[in-house]
Amino acid sequence: MNWSGILLGAATLLIIGLGFVWVIRGERYLGLLWWPYVLGAGLLLALLACFVQEEWLSALLGVFGASLAWGSTELRDQAVRAELGWFPFRAEKILPPGAEIIRRWRAPRL
Amino acid sequence: MTINPIGLAVALAAFLGIWLGHVSVRAVEFHAADLRPPALAYILSGLSLLAVSLASSGFLLSGTAGILGMTLLWDALELARQQKRVARGHAPANPANPRHARLLASHPEATTLDRLARAPRGRPYSQDELAAEKGRKP
Repeated sequence: MNWSGILLGAATLLIIGLGFVWVIRGERYLGLLWWPYVLGAGLLLALLACFVQEEWLSALLGVFGASLAWGSTELRDQAVRAELGWFPFRAEKILPPGAEIIRRWRAPRL
Repeated sequence: MTINPIGLAVALAAFLGIWLGHVSVRAVEFHAADLRPPALAYILSGLSLLAVSLASSGFLLSGTAGILGMTLLWDALELARQQKRVARGHAPANPANPRHARLLASHPEATTLDRLARAPRGRPYSQDELAAEKGRKP
């Protein structure tokens, strides 16, 4: 019996759970305009995972990358949830570099 | 330098697992009059994948099956969480679904509007704006 897959699945649920926390906090303090950076970081981690030979480290990097990529698509909805009063709203955001350009892009929503 | 496919394979499994769960839970909860059969289907397919994961000798197959199996088990729980979102008006109710029709009757916050389907505007909605939305028809 090989328990590594079930352990990895459990670790994935924890990493997704962490995603709930950072999407909520990240949107509140930083704002949804960070989404291209979060998406880029996620894709970079998944790419980096291809060059890591140790299987557990590679797998965890991959899952964390996937979770970042997914979270980048959640920031837009989270911004609306805060505006609707479902989560605390904070008007002052720490804007990312290139915020004015990103503002013209359509944030992904899956 | 050799390329290790494990990280990329499990990354795809995790992303597609979350995506599939996200879309299917919303669609199934919207249409199903009884949540027990689909919950059972999620649980059985999740457990089957976990059995595949246990029986596979390689890390790659065991890992991808493990991730998909665990996310499918989570999806069974999400059906119940989605129903709560509908009751609170955080997800749209389907008046043609008898279970949702009962939620619409018993929960004043429940609505047929998809309240998240709008662009963020950068400032919060006032109580008056939210009250005006409640009376709006989809």
